[in-house]
Amino acid sequence: MTGEVGVLANNGCHIFNGCGFPAPGLQSFNWKPLFTVGSFGFTKPMLLAILAALVVIVFFWVAFWKPKLVPRGMQNLGEMAILAIRDQILRPSLGRKGDSYLPFLVSLFFFIYIMNVMELIPVLQFPVPARIGFVWPLVFVVYFLYLYLGFKHQGLWGYFKTMIPPGVPAPIYIILVPVELLRFFIFQPFTLGVRLFGNMFAGHLLLTIFTVATWYLLSLSVGLLYAAGSFFLAIFVFLLEILVTLLQAFIFTTLTATYIASSVEPAH
Amino acid sequence: MNDHGNEAVTRARQEAAAQGRAQGLETGWTVFSYLLAGMAAYGGIGWLIGRAVHVALLFPIGMLVGLGISIGYIIHRFGRQQAVERPRKEIIGDR
Repeated sequence: MTGEVGVLANNGCHIFNGCGFPAPGLQSFNWKPLFTVGSFGFTKPMLLAILAALVVIVFFWVAFWKPKLVPRGMQNLGEMAILAIRDQILRPSLGRKGDSYLPFLVSLFFFIYIMNVMELIPVLQFPVPARIGFVWPLVFVVYFLYLYLGFKHQGLWGYFKTMIPPGVPAPIYIILVPVELLRFFIFQPFTLGVRLFGNMFAGHLLLTIFTVATWYLLSLSVGLLYAAGSFFLAIFVFLLEILVTLLQAFIFTTLTATYIASSVEPAH
Repeated sequence: MNDHGNEAVTRARQEAAAQGRAQGLETGWTVFSYLLAGMAAYGGIGWLIGRAVHVALLFPIGMLVGLGISIGYIIHRFGRQQAVERPRKEIIGDR
């Protein structure tokens, strides 16, 4: 990252000393490699993604290493987390017979949530899904899973047949086929991925803008008032992002559960 | 009603709320996908025909037609679904 904050701090760039506002932009999402192996550069978002995976693995490993009948400590926390996903995400879409997908949905939810929440942790302070390359693999896993389940449970023809609900006249059927095919194969996975990316990208950009602006506007004059306004907005966006990070993980996992449900048994 | 009964009613309400939330999310994003898919499908068909017959206007016309088809289908599919589901939800609410 080129680092607007660094530029500001080094140059003493403020509003009343003739320095233009170094507006954060796409450069805030591009990271210089931490190290390179040949032509491959290992960047901070990669490190954070690995860290997020490790956090999830270690947490559930420790929680259920030696499970007890009466849960205590980490096991208690782990069970609460799993039950929350089961009751709020899995059961409403898949019912009791969908319990076999619980490990997948729990892993997916917490992996996304930890990656998102890194935006709010000092030093880490970058949401991994704000780089869309980290979102597509998750989307592909979900996409191939629900395609596989659909073909397995309903057969190739049966799966395509259920895309359009019964009772639609034959000519309308023909008109709807291109729309349905494109929606199912392109736009459903596309919206699943782009929503997560877009929300995390926008959130990080807003946080960076208001943080940089607070420093930029800071001076012993009326600028102090401007800086206070910007600081207030930075805090507001930070609090909002606490909700957004959780909400985006929830939406991604809930939609995954509903897509699996529609593959396992037709909705209509 | 005893404690077990109250607990069961609360749990049933929570389940219904969670179910409604999941359905709402799915419907919302499906509707959005339909709008995009309709425009892309018929915009694409319009563009292909327009390219063959050298009428560039067929691309935007195709997009509008696709949007119209999508909106019509959304009303047909989800409007009807809402109308069927509403009385059932009201009955559950009365309990």
